[in-house]
Amino acid sequence: MNVKVNRTHIEIFEGALAKHAILQYLSRRKIKPSRLTECQVFDSHGHVIGLDAPLTEGQTIKLKLL
Amino acid sequence: MKKRFLLAFSAICLFSLTLLSTTKEVHIISTNDMHANIQAFPQLAALTDSVRSLYPSLLVLSAGDNRTGDPLNDIYEIPAYPMVALMNQVGFHASALGNHEFDSKAEGLGRVTSLAHFTHLCANIHADPALGIHTRPYQIFDVDGIKVGIVGVVQVGMRGIPDTHPDNCKGITFTPVEETVQQYKWLRDQCDVVILLTHIGYDDDVKLSKDVPWADLIVGGHSHTQLKGGEMHNGVLITQTVNRLDCVTHTTITLDDGKVVDKRAENISVTHCTQKNKVVEEMVKFFSNNPEFQRVLCQVEKPFTTYEELGCLMSDALREETHADVGFINRGGVRYETHDAGPFTVSDVLKLDPFGNDVVEMNLTGEELRQMLLSCSNNDTYGPPCVSGITLEYTLDKNDTTKVKNVKILTLDGKKFDLKKTYKVATHTYSAAICTSPRKDQGRDLNIQTSQMMMNYLERRGTINYAGACRVKPAKP
Repeated sequence: MNVKVNRTHIEIFEGALAKHAILQYLSRRKIKPSRLTECQVFDSHGHVIGLDAPLTEGQTIKLKLL
Repeated sequence: MKKRFLLAFSAICLFSLTLLSTTKEVHIISTNDMHANIQAFPQLAALTDSVRSLYPSLLVLSAGDNRTGDPLNDIYEIPAYPMVALMNQVGFHASALGNHEFDSKAEGLGRVTSLAHFTHLCANIHADPALGIHTRPYQIFDVDGIKVGIVGVVQVGMRGIPDTHPDNCKGITFTPVEETVQQYKWLRDQCDVVILLTHIGYDDDVKLSKDVPWADLIVGGHSHTQLKGGEMHNGVLITQTVNRLDCVTHTTITLDDGKVVDKRAENISVTHCTQKNKVVEEMVKFFSNNPEFQRVLCQVEKPFTTYEELGCLMSDALREETHADVGFINRGGVRYETHDAGPFTVSDVLKLDPFGNDVVEMNLTGEELRQMLLSCSNNDTYGPPCVSGITLEYTLDKNDTTKVKNVKILTLDGKKFDLKKTYKVATHTYSAAICTSPRKDQGRDLNIQTSQMMMNYLERRGTINYAGACRVKPAKP
């Protein structure tokens, strides 16, 4: 499944949740996975979504590290 | 005397006006994606009681995914019964089916729906009656003389079923959401208020709103979207809160002469609610002392004395239960180091593997697997992963000994591993997410928790002995 996190293209397994795409994004940037808990996640409309939010093909999410 | 007469006359006029006025309100407390957060129920119950004291005809709705998220609920003797009992006590009127309502298969859903005092609404499910799943497509509630029609729908994924393991939907078919909802347009003529209780996600709720101008409100779930109260799209008010009962939505629908003239919604925090319903609090305490957690799954012949031994057990469970060639988990996922000889209980499994990760299955070449294991070694703070079906030799980076420079895969008997061959590999969601190495197959979430898989494995084995097991070693210089 292909999604975007902060404009970065992420390939992730089918059925992934927002937190899984973010973990992939953080790992690519050599940021510790433990910082996941400091993340606030938004959908493409700017709504806050939960870390456990299911993702769909082509979805874009935005991440703010608190 | 004249003053008294005027006062009495004014009072009579006011009373008459009140009688003549046909303005009425429907009040709704709604939530979605509670995901078995039973600990929040004493506050939810107190909050609901408080709103109900103001509006006795309060409707309480859930947009689905009530379960899956806390083993206290999900592995109860009747899976998900604690949530149903608590929702009964709070006084829920209806719940949509979410994709996770199917996680205990049709049999589990049948038991849960038969024990609920509220209605499970799902218009697009078509289940064999023999499965005993008690749902209705819609229900009309009489709220102080106002007819409120509610239709439920669940999301349908790429495989034509909600997002759950395909085995969970055997004997059940689903029809597309939009097409199904249109079949209930007639409710507009029969009811004063029409509500769609959906578990399809915010984006699809917005799309749906274009096709259902005849609906007043969509109470949505699935995408865990925190809306600020509600949003008006195409004349339809849409509400949704994030998940796990962080807050609920209070919606007020105002009718004048039987016509909806105003719709508004606000969020109310559950987390910050200082009041607790004592009865519900006692119920939560009862469910928290679940005897199921002490159930013995198998006997340990010789004690576990290292993380590696317990990691071998966890990765073996993954590999064997999925019939994969190779299993692996990140070393940080092994949460304790020792376990005495004797009984291994459900509680022991949940302490060893507390994160609620699901199993991920993928097909990888030997080289893709090698790179994935190297990536896992460096992106997990605890070093090389625990493996099953293979052994692993690793070399540390001389310049930075916190980094693994290389890994070499060997067969269980120490022979060369074919890097060109394709293998079925099982890991879990966290490990798959932190591995950044390139691979053609990103894999699939099997919607089965690794802890559940380990319980199945241990029960099947009866006795286990991992004393001295060591599959990951530094390479010889």
